[in-house]
Formats: sequence, structure tokens, C-alpha cells
Amino acid sequence: MHKYVKKTLYWLIVPLLFGGLITACSDQTTDSVPPDAANSTDPGQAVADAEAAEPEVDAELMARQPTSHWINDRPIGDGDGPVTVEELASGTSNPERWLHYGGDYRNFRHSPVEALNPESIENLQVAWSFPTGTEGQFAMSPIVYDGIMYMATSYNHLMALDAQTGELFWRYDHPQPDDLRLCCGPANRGAAIHGDSIIMGTLDAHLLALDRLTGEILWDVEIEEYSHGFSSTAAPLIVKDMAIIGVGGGEYGVRGFFDAYNVNTGERVWRVYTIPGEGEPGNETWAGDSWQTGGAPTWSVGAFDASTNTVFWTTGNPAPDWNGDDRAGDNLYSDSLLAVDADTGELKWHFQFTPHDVWDYDGNTTIFLADIQFEGQERQALVQANRNGYFYMLDRVTGEYLHATQYVEQLNWATLDENGRPVPNPEAFPQTNPDYRVCPGLSGGMNGAWAGALNPDLGLAFIPVVENCMKFRKGISVYVQGQSFTGGGGIDTDASADTDYGHLSAIDINTGEIRWRYMDEDPLKAGVVSTQGGVVISGNQKGKIFGLDAETGEELWTFNAGGGIRSQPIVYQQNGETYLAVGAGDRSRTSAVPQGGQLFVFRLREGQY
Amino acid sequence: MRAGLCAGLLMSALVACGENEPPAPSIVETYMADPAAVDRGEALFVGTCAGYCHSFERDNTDALYLFDCEWKHGDGDQDIFNTVIAGIPNTRMVGFGDNFPEGEADLWKIIAFLRTNQESCA
Repeated sequence: MHKYVKKTLYWLIVPLLFGGLITACSDQTTDSVPPDAANSTDPGQAVADAEAAEPEVDAELMARQPTSHWINDRPIGDGDGPVTVEELASGTSNPERWLHYGGDYRNFRHSPVEALNPESIENLQVAWSFPTGTEGQFAMSPIVYDGIMYMATSYNHLMALDAQTGELFWRYDHPQPDDLRLCCGPANRGAAIHGDSIIMGTLDAHLLALDRLTGEILWDVEIEEYSHGFSSTAAPLIVKDMAIIGVGGGEYGVRGFFDAYNVNTGERVWRVYTIPGEGEPGNETWAGDSWQTGGAPTWSVGAFDASTNTVFWTTGNPAPDWNGDDRAGDNLYSDSLLAVDADTGELKWHFQFTPHDVWDYDGNTTIFLADIQFEGQERQALVQANRNGYFYMLDRVTGEYLHATQYVEQLNWATLDENGRPVPNPEAFPQTNPDYRVCPGLSGGMNGAWAGALNPDLGLAFIPVVENCMKFRKGISVYVQGQSFTGGGGIDTDASADTDYGHLSAIDINTGEIRWRYMDEDPLKAGVVSTQGGVVISGNQKGKIFGLDAETGEELWTFNAGGGIRSQPIVYQQNGETYLAVGAGDRSRTSAVPQGGQLFVFRLREGQY
Repeated sequence: MRAGLCAGLLMSALVACGENEPPAPSIVETYMADPAAVDRGEALFVGTCAGYCHSFERDNTDALYLFDCEWKHGDGDQDIFNTVIAGIPNTRMVGFGDNFPEGEADLWKIIAFLRTNQESCA
């Protein structure tokens, strides 16, 4: 028998800009209950029905959504017990689990499942589906453990579902303030798991842990004051007994950092500022006091190499984005890769992809810890399809630059010298009245909001790519804490002329050569999953989920999910059956497709694998 | 009595006379007639307002379009000025206070830029 405890809060959660949008959401009330909850025979369950009176608000300013917290206290799961550090280190080796955003500490997003292959993929059928109940991009990568799927949605709704049937076990809707400091939608890209905790960063820059079986909050800490420009949209990375999490805020002039928190207590273990303070090496790369408002956010997921006890994390753009006049210098460590000691956060080395960025080329796309063959030698490498259009190969032990190649079709902002340092095209700098079309545009290339995949046997990285060139316009930026601090923007985009497009590219990780491209009429903005069986699965902005032959890029299977695909698909097995989970639902208002997220879970039809 | 009547007539004449004189241009109108002021207002708008918050086009994004005739917090120049200075509670529109590099003049120039490019309001 289900036993739910209903705790209801009303909060105002939709962020608004200068006047705001008006949305009536009163039909989505907490009177609706999860399946079976209404049948509970335990009258004590529907306690704490303390719906707080709605505070007085300006109806013109606010869109209101009720938030809820449904706690479960019945036995659920397969009895697997707490997730151990060893299990987390094993990545995707157990096909019944998906424990990290990137699948494993290398971020390969490569499932060991062989059953999902070019021959079987046509037998995928919808097994179950589940709505998010929220608008905005549905961007998460689910966690699967103990027969339970943990699904995070936009606006930080977190749900525990039966991984085989989709039955709802518990749900937590994080209450949010109205004035969230977001640049790019209310995304959450997933939660993390450790022990008996599910850990999630929030748009109001909190980090919280919930009991994975009951949904009760175990601890809730403020990462930083959100109204100063901070948010958290990424899935945490669990390393040992720490949850490592970064922040957004590159468009608000924050001083970026990433933190490690004790997963058991929520206490902060270390913080790494991504802009050196006064007197620290690198601070001299910022003119005057510009380092204090220099951005370099950390809004995507890092990686961990246990063999060297190194956490790798990447950083985003310097602020203001498109006007670098007041921040002369390289602006370390914006648009960089940082290698830090996992226990202390001490910096080991760094590599900056885009010094003195004025194009918004955040350096935070998926980093793959892959061993490669380079000039006849095996190297412990780190490879990345950077937002600036180059595919980099670095030695992950020393930080040595090995090689880079162009992976986008259009690139004119810079060439690279023998050390991988860009030599910018003088025409590509933002202008007051620009007339030069710069490639890539501000979204990339690839973008850190979605994750690539890597098949180590094929030596291929699968990268979703945006081709959307634009002109960059520069203006005068005024800093006010908590206000947007951008200095300009992109205009005359290919998107506005409807000439933008995208592709999923298979990149040889040893050479950087393009093995194949799967073309799409729109930029691709979804994550990718790869299988040992030899398929690659992602989706496009028009709602098509597609499966490709990993070796050739041939389209093998499609499904129309309706909403644009922005999520990070995963593959898992339960009781020997193979499942594919893909979230649909984007925030784009440029098409007639309604917003609203929906998770689709497919199962290989019985007897076909 | 006669003196009072004369004074009244004089006042009426003065008032009538004043009604025939064009009102002094507002500071926004003055800046609208000054291309350099409009250019500075545009540069400030581009660099401070238009990154993600406000758009030059009706582009269906979250960025609100300020060149139409729909003002939620008052459509007068002073209303706009006050809104930008003080901000809007519970939104991301934080007030700019006295942070403009050239003081209030910068904000009036932004408003002049908006007015210069505003759509016709029937």
C-alpha cells in the first residue's frame, strides 16, 4: 500500500524579466495526487495539509505554480542498499545502473548493453511515459539505481519512478523565488547519487540531499546568494564522499567557483575560485578590479581520474561577455580546463582554450578522459569538442597541449598556434556596428548544456553541433550586483535568417578527423548515448528521437516525441530487458509546439534481442 | 473692484499667451534631437540591457521587447526612468540606482534611444 505524506507549499517560481509574463497556472494544484495515493487506507498519510495562504503578489508580475513534496514510506527498490564509492567508480559496468550524468567518471555515456544494436533498435517500443508538469527545457540525464529512476525537471522538480513501469514513488518540487538569476531558461540537467542520498543543485543556488527511498530532505545548503547572480543547473559529480557542484552566473558578473560538499553533512570541504584573487598567480591577467566581476562560471559537469586523484572542471566565459575593454588580459581561468587535487581542490594545472574571450565561448563542453594514440604513443588524454569550434586533445596528467582540429563546418574567429593558443581574426571582434559574420556563433559549436558520448572501441566521440554564425555587437556595460552584465550580444544570426543547421558528428579521438556527420535542418541541442551494441541515440529540436549506426551514422530508427529534445538519453537494463530513456520538451517559443516536458522510456520488444 | 478685474484680465491674457507658446522640450526630446546622445543610449542599451533581458526584435524569447507600446510600469519617460533606477521587486530587473557612468544623463539617453526607435502607437 502506498503511503504518501503530503506537504504543500505555495511558492512563486517563474522568473520574470522587466515586467514579466502573465501565466495562469491555477489549474495545477496540489489537490492532484500521485497514482494510488487517493486509495491509501492510512488516514494519517494525508497529514500536514498545510497549504500556506498565498501571499499578496502583483498579478502582473507573477506566474504562480504550486509546489509540493510527496514523501514515500513504503518499501521500494530491489534492496540493493546504499550506493558505494566502488560502485560509483565502476561507472556503467553494471547495465542495470546509470549512476553519473556522464555515465562514468570519464563522461563516455557509453552503455555496455550489446542488446541495443543496429539490428535490434527497430524493435524499440514505448514502455511507459511520464510528464514533468513543468515548462522550460527538459534537460536532465536520469539516474537509475536499485530499480528506481530519479528524474529531475526544469524548476527543480525531482521524482523517483519505478524504472520498469514509471510508477511514481515520491516527488519533491523545490520552492523557488520569483527573481531567479537565469540567462537561459530554468534548466536542471540531473541529480547525483551517493549512499542513500539523491543530491541536486537548484536554480536558487542551493545544494540539497534527499533520502533516495523516501524523498525526505536530509540537508539543504546555500551554495551562494542567488540574487547576486548565482544559479546551479548541472548535475553534481560525486567523488569519494564529496558532491562537487559548479555555478552559473557568467552573464551576471559573478566571480566563479566550484565547490565540494560532504555528502553526509552538506558541509563544504573546499572551494576553488576560477578567478585568482589579489596576489594569486593569474590575477594579473585581469585589468584593474575587473577580476571581481569577471564571470568564469562552472555550470557543467567535470570528470575524475582516480589514478591521479584529479578532478577536472571547466569554466565559462569572462564577464562582460562581449565587451572585453575593461578586462584587458587573458582573463584566467575563464574558458579553461582546471585540474585540481580531489581532496583539497589545489590547482595542479590549467589549460585555457579561449584567452580574453569576447564571443561567449564557454569552455565547458563534455570532457572525455580517453586514452588515445598520438604520434605513435599511447597517451592518457582528455579530449573535448570545445564551444569555440576546435576539438582539443590534451595530456590529462600534465596538461600538455597535443593537438586540435576544427570539428564545426564553419569557423573563422581564429586559427591556433603550435601551442593551441588562438590567433584571433581581427575582423571577428565585436563591433559597435558589426558587419562581419563570425563562426561559430555564441552557442557554439557544441554547448555545455548537452553532453556528447564516446565509444572507446570505435575511438569515436559523438558530438551534437550547432552551426549558427552571427555578428557580434559591442556596447557599454554597467555593472550592478545581480543585474545582467553582458556588454553586447549576437545579431543577424543565421537562425534569424533560417539558415542555421546542425549535425551529430563522429570524431576520431586519435586524430580529430570527422568520420561521419548526421545532418539536421536545425542545430542539435540534445545529449547523446552510445551502446556497446553499436548504436548512437540523440534527438532534434523538432522532437525526433533518432538512433544511428555508430560506425556509419546511418539512421536506423526514429520516434516522434512531439517536444524538442534537449535531454541526455540513457540506456539501462532491468531484469534482462533493455530500456532507453529520453526526455522531450524544450523552452523554444519559436515554434507552435507547446512547452511541457515528457519522459519517454522505450523497451526492446520481447524476443527481439 | 476695477483693479481686481484688470488683474484678472491680465492673468487670463498671460495664460492664453502661454498656451500659444510651444512647451520647452523635455530632456528626452532634447537628447532625441542629438544623434550623439541617441548613439550613447543605444550603446548602453546594447551593452547593458540587450544581452539576454531585452530584445531588438519580437523574437519569442524570454527577452522582453521594449520598442512596442506596452509598458507595464508606466509609459511616461519619468515612469521608465523611475523603473530603471528603482527596479521591479521580485523580478530580475534590479534597479541601476546611480551606477550609470555618466549619471542620470545616461539613462535619459537610453530612453531617448528607445523613443527614437519606438513603434508607432495608435
